Amino acid sequence: MKKLISLVLAVAMMLTAASALADIVICQNKVEIGSIMEEYAKGYTERTGVPVKVITGGGSQDYNTVLKAEMASGREPDIFVIEGVSGYELWKDRIADQSDAEWTKTCTAPYVADGKIVGFPVAQEGYGLAYNKDILDKAGIDPATLTNYDAYAAAFEKLDSMKAELGLDMVVSMVAGTTNNMTWVTGLHNFNVYLSVGLERGDDTIINKLLQGEVDAERFHQYCQYVALLFKYSDPEMLLNGNQETQMVAFTSGKAAFYHQGNWMDPTIAQAGGIGFTAAYAPHAFLKEDTDGILTDAASWYVVNSKGNVDEAIAYLNALCGTDEGKEYMVDKAGMIPAFTNVEAKATDATPLTKSVVEWVNAGKTYSWQQYKMPDGFGMGTLGAIYELLASGAIDVDAFEAMMIEAIQGVKK
Amino acid sequence: MTSKVKRKLTEFLFLLPSLIAFLMVIIVPFILGIYYSFTDWQGTGAVSQSVGFANYAAIFKDAGFLHSFLVTLLFTVLNIITVNVVAFIISLLVTSEIRGRNVYRAGFFIPNLIGGIVLGLVWQFIFTNIVPSIGSSLGLPTLSKSLISNKDTVMFTMVTVNTWQYAGYIMLIYVAAIQGISKSVMEAAEVDGARYWTRVTRIQIPLMANAFTISLFLTLTNSFKMYDVNVALTNGGPVAMFMNKPVQASELLALNIYNTAFKYNNMAQGQAKAVIFFIVLTIFSIIQVSWNKSKEVEA
Amino acid sequence: MAKQAAAPIERMAGYKPHKGRTIALEIVTLILFILFMMPFLIVVFNSMRSNTDIINNPVALPNSLSQFWTNLTDIWNNPTFNFLSALRDSVIITILSLAIISIFSSMAAWVLVRNKTKWSNFIFFCYVAAMVIPFQVVMFPLLTWFKSVGDFLGIPLLRSYQGIIFAYLGFGEAMSIFIFHGFIKGVPLELEEAADIDGCSRAGTFFRIVLPLLQPVFVTVLVLNGLWIWNDYLLPLLVLGANGDIRTIPLAVQGFNGAYVKQWHLIMTSTLLAMLPIVILYLFAQKYIVQGMVDGSIK
Repeated sequence: MKKLISLVLAVAMMLTAASALADIVICQNKVEIGSIMEEYAKGYTERTGVPVKVITGGGSQDYNTVLKAEMASGREPDIFVIEGVSGYELWKDRIADQSDAEWTKTCTAPYVADGKIVGFPVAQEGYGLAYNKDILDKAGIDPATLTNYDAYAAAFEKLDSMKAELGLDMVVSMVAGTTNNMTWVTGLHNFNVYLSVGLERGDDTIINKLLQGEVDAERFHQYCQYVALLFKYSDPEMLLNGNQETQMVAFTSGKAAFYHQGNWMDPTIAQAGGIGFTAAYAPHAFLKEDTDGILTDAASWYVVNSKGNVDEAIAYLNALCGTDEGKEYMVDKAGMIPAFTNVEAKATDATPLTKSVVEWVNAGKTYSWQQYKMPDGFGMGTLGAIYELLASGAIDVDAFEAMMIEAIQGVKK
Repeated sequence: MTSKVKRKLTEFLFLLPSLIAFLMVIIVPFILGIYYSFTDWQGTGAVSQSVGFANYAAIFKDAGFLHSFLVTLLFTVLNIITVNVVAFIISLLVTSEIRGRNVYRAGFFIPNLIGGIVLGLVWQFIFTNIVPSIGSSLGLPTLSKSLISNKDTVMFTMVTVNTWQYAGYIMLIYVAAIQGISKSVMEAAEVDGARYWTRVTRIQIPLMANAFTISLFLTLTNSFKMYDVNVALTNGGPVAMFMNKPVQASELLALNIYNTAFKYNNMAQGQAKAVIFFIVLTIFSIIQVSWNKSKEVEA
Repeated sequence: MAKQAAAPIERMAGYKPHKGRTIALEIVTLILFILFMMPFLIVVFNSMRSNTDIINNPVALPNSLSQFWTNLTDIWNNPTFNFLSALRDSVIITILSLAIISIFSSMAAWVLVRNKTKWSNFIFFCYVAAMVIPFQVVMFPLLTWFKSVGDFLGIPLLRSYQGIIFAYLGFGEAMSIFIFHGFIKGVPLELEEAADIDGCSRAGTFFRIVLPLLQPVFVTVLVLNGLWIWNDYLLPLLVLGANGDIRTIPLAVQGFNGAYVKQWHLIMTSTLLAMLPIVILYLFAQKYIVQGMVDGSIK
């Protein structure tokens, strides 16, 4: 009997002895900079002695799923990312007020809610339809003319007819498949074209309609035609089965003239050997009339968990925009466009997509991001599935439009 | 302390660790789970309110769930057939007179050692890269595209992977059963001039009835609960149409439950789906038990 | 089973095998076997190639061993995969879980068999019934429940070794008790009575007399639970988190797969590393693993 009790005690003691905690745990959603961020965190630990652990969800693992699991665990992240209002609403009882933090003094796009500054903008990001200028030149297409649906339709058709000559496998490199969890490209980013293009920054008429279960019928009809156009000139296999890697390679290797991704791909492109041609963004001009601007915004924010190590977390964020190492990480390593007056964006040829975004921003031709105001899972899940149906040819564009409208009507319960 | 009390105390202490774990890990969460399925529980610790059967009512209007249910049934049936046919054929081969049968026996079991996540990834690579590459060089249009991103073939990929993984295990059961058949019976049949197939169909198969039942139910529950291969291989995709709604073509029940709770942020409804899942599995088990009982009576 | 391994040879000796048929069977088996082993070959070959290589031509043979070394060092030093720590955590969790499952379950099963009361019947019935409960129905409440119990006791149950091992005890013991129960029923009571008369304590009787007799059934319990725990994905995902401080091998593989843009060469290398430990173990303990799997299925 004694033996048994001592055995149990021994096991119990062994178990309780074995759990140490890191001082800052960060849960973030950018797979493209996962390893770069881990490297920065390592350097931060060396400089300050504060251990930092980076948890990355996203890519083929859904970020919100990862974050929920992290939150449900005993060790909640101290810093995590919210992608706008649905994230804020979900976690607001845990989000700390950072109004007095050092970084807020130079920040141009903080997340403000209920009169408090709560979110540190991860970066300004942008996307349009990236193009390979060398190919467009050869085909005699001036990217500056791509400002409406008809211009795109003509350009795509011309490129398609010259595929062999230009060495193209496809006109547009785009992905839409569920299998590789790529529906954010369609259900969130592409859908934001409908929500935002042509409107003043901050104009939320269309998204507010959507949240009421309504669509702007004429605008939406034109948008659906644009989606169908993009898909028509994409490679069906890439649409359904591509992942970020293959989608990127199709563009960087010159097999596709256009590329539906944002400037966050720059670090990955650089790691894979860079681009050997001139690339820049053209607008997602889906309307019959001209619209000229790409979609940029601070898309996600670091928030601090009020139940975690708040001081250490804020110190980490201050260092990101306030120290040379932090600036170097954001601008040079991660290739991001910071939303801080004291951190200058670098637009070099090493990061061509970012360079293009900076140019559009400086020209003042941008539209905002509204997609993260949609309910959880709606864009990637509900809408993403309908995009995939269109991509696979299971439905035509009219059925697509009808199903999308039906799904949107279901938003308001 | 009298020896009788001491004895009872010891026995109680022997039982205690198991009982505590049982209560804490199974019973309490089980009861909580049933309770939560009738509330608007959010999983983040917020106070929940009773909503009656609303979660259940919503489930039966959810095309995604109904589709998952049917797909899971289809997957289960296909799997039961392919796993058992393949396993039985292999078991006949590795109990025949061929050289190296022990090596084969050990080898066929190896896939069963590997976890679903790992082999799901391996097979994803095979179906998205290797097969299309071979298919296009052979000029076969269906094979030159990924079988995973096609809604009509995705089920084939899932069944292939599961059969590959599970057949080795079921084979072991059949091998044990074949070896359990007394050699005098087989020899007598051989002497009587019974041909190979006659011996297999008339003697081996009837004498292996028990092994078939075991294998059938093992494959049944294994397929019905499938999760990790599903996640790593297809992630539920691609999208198909069902009841005029877009649904995930290969999303089995377990994955549907998980996604409802985490991806769509609807814990209570995920929980209600899990309760339905439990009820179906219970029905399967009752069928299994009564089937076994009736056989015992016959024997 | 082990004794029967040599049986077919003797049995077949009586058959006077047909040479032609044997060769045909050998060819069929060999082809099937190569097909079965193909995925492993694909993993090994593609671990030796670079990513561009794989994308350009998925079905080519590796052309340099140095690439294998590059991949291996890349994956070995990758902080997200962190193979050594994942291996350590998997080993710790599997071994400790197996130890407490087998000890506590055998103790409980023995008490349940030797006490023929209404209570013991009821408890045993509960365990058997609980085997039907699928993980999905308890997984969400388990998380909140573990969290509040952990907060209450001051011993974290989530993100900790003790928590996951305790959970494995809860999930593994029902089947283990069932298996032990069936075996102990067949152990003659006389031995224990003799020990009783010799003045051996109740605990002493169990540990000195009964436990050594249970050896064969321990193999079954260890193998069945061991393979399951080693490869399990969903429970560690929920209890330990996708990328917590403690990560088992399946979590590390999936975490690595999800944390970067898809790089097949490194994913293949990571799956190769993930497969190695269990396959090596199998090569050494094949006899026990096969016996355990077969016995476990038949009981």
